[in-house]
Amino acid sequence: MDSTTAMYVAQGIHGLAYGMVLFLVASGLTLIFGMMDILNLAHAAFFMLAAYFCYQFLSLTGNFWAALLLAPIATAFFGVLLERFLLRKIHAYGLMSQLTLTVGVSLVILAGVKIFWGTENLPVKIPSILRGLVMIGGLDYPVYRLFIIALSLMVLAVMALLLYKTRLGKIVRAAVSDPDMVNALGINIPLVFTFVFGVGIWLAGVAGVVIAPILTVFPGLADQMGMDAFVVVITGGFGSLTGAFIISIIFGLLSSYGVQFVSSLAPVLMFAFMAIILAIRPMGLFGERE
Amino acid sequence: MKNKKVQRISWVGLIVILALYPKIFGIYYTNFFVTFAIFAIYSVSFNLLLGYTALFSFGHAMFFGAGGYGTALALKHIQGLPLLPAVLIGLVSAVVLALILCPIVVRVTGSAFAMLHLAFGQLMYVLALKMRNITGGEDGIGGFPIPPFSIPGIVSIDMKAPENFYYFAIIVLGLSLWIMWFFTKTPFGQIQVGVRDNAMRIDYLGFKVPQTKAVVYVFAGAFAGISGSIFALFQNLIAADSGFGILVSFGAVINTLVGGLGSFFGPVCGAAIMQILEELTTRYTDRVELVAGLILILVIMFAPMGFVGGVRILKQKWLASSAPGGKLEKAS
Repeated sequence: MDSTTAMYVAQGIHGLAYGMVLFLVASGLTLIFGMMDILNLAHAAFFMLAAYFCYQFLSLTGNFWAALLLAPIATAFFGVLLERFLLRKIHAYGLMSQLTLTVGVSLVILAGVKIFWGTENLPVKIPSILRGLVMIGGLDYPVYRLFIIALSLMVLAVMALLLYKTRLGKIVRAAVSDPDMVNALGINIPLVFTFVFGVGIWLAGVAGVVIAPILTVFPGLADQMGMDAFVVVITGGFGSLTGAFIISIIFGLLSSYGVQFVSSLAPVLMFAFMAIILAIRPMGLFGERE
Repeated sequence: MKNKKVQRISWVGLIVILALYPKIFGIYYTNFFVTFAIFAIYSVSFNLLLGYTALFSFGHAMFFGAGGYGTALALKHIQGLPLLPAVLIGLVSAVVLALILCPIVVRVTGSAFAMLHLAFGQLMYVLALKMRNITGGEDGIGGFPIPPFSIPGIVSIDMKAPENFYYFAIIVLGLSLWIMWFFTKTPFGQIQVGVRDNAMRIDYLGFKVPQTKAVVYVFAGAFAGISGSIFALFQNLIAADSGFGILVSFGAVINTLVGGLGSFFGPVCGAAIMQILEELTTRYTDRVELVAGLILILVIMFAPMGFVGGVRILKQKWLASSAPGGKLEKAS
């Protein structure tokens, strides 16, 4: 294999890994919006919080797998608190109040993180089994990137099974199209809402934990990922998981190849792509409503 | 008749207070007031979108920043540029930005509009950081010459003296406030409110909804540009964080919500309250984000109509209790 192909493949793997993490964040966002009409601007803050929890659990137990299991659950717990005690009470006030409230929550999380952990970059070590490179078909692949892709695909498969093969999934899908009717059928919709919100935050939490070793943990973590995830949800269409998946992968590849070839324009590429899509379809690629 | 007289006296009183303000309160509070005035105008221009047309923007800072950067760049690169054209360039750069964006943004509403602005605002922020050779990156553009306010042959006032700058800023911002207020009272301003309340009906009546939104959008952008331009002159510095930063965008939202979005002067009250609160909190703590976040949460949870809304409700209650029967319906 010559070095050019190797470079292409390496960038492709990087892009796919980033796209997958992006999808984990964006899927929670779009799931919550599709079902509850809540656009959670604190989503990225929870993503960051999970990375800090990962650091904390790791320094307490020294076990990355324990951190991977526990940090997203701890984050989801805070998400459930937010839904149950703040968002539910202002549901009647409409979209703007929700957006503003979640901005307030994200500012508080940011401040809290700075108070507890400071502002410097905190390193997260990955277990030795995930370090280094693996040789497949004459090309070197970074193991951790492959691990991210595999884990994300696994989470995706479990989510799909849950959503399309279980009774709970059926209720969730029904609630997306008509929550009032499902409520009238005797199903505890507020409980389902809280559950879906928790799952959405949990997904962001998983993303936060797997990204922590790559980018290290710092308060600015939320900015980049939050913006990218929102652009994904807008471009893919609000409430569409398929759209979120396709756009995440495209953006992941776009950003990694963009940095390689037109590094000065890389941050603009994604927005240009979004502008083109929205100019043609204002509701996003797979969106059904505006 | 009596009402009009009272109104006239209070106007004169307000002007006298504003004119004497720097003499009474000294330089620190003069600068404090200029900052307040800048953010009040900026928030009112934001409220033209939100309160009057129901367009919720999370990226209003991009017009503020465009105005600031426009003025700063013009003063840095054009030798001997007078003051007013410099402000005008700030305004024009914000208008150009609004004109570029409006074909896309007037087609979306609600959350998509808010998100698009969050994204575009952040894009401007990233661009201001990355295009180091033009914008100076994180350090921004500072130390550009502040020209005197001059009418050739008649008068030339040095703008480096804070007191002179105070008068200049107050006049420009006061005029902007008046123009925006006038704008909402014109028939066009009424259509704008109609678009907010029922866009479909306005469409049936034969008015063009997207075009109306576009005009309001450009108008609001222009005045955000003016406030940004004055801000750059006032600080003699504009940087990515103070111009395009996300907290600048959220500042407009906070001011408007705290003041009350149902009224024209709500954002002005909000800006005053927040300015005073910030002054007090920075004396005791440097956790501005925490305070801002908590205020947002508390306002949304307990006073969704903001300060002016709260005053209105109290007034109604007071009227209803002092004169029983029918007052409540009349007031609302």
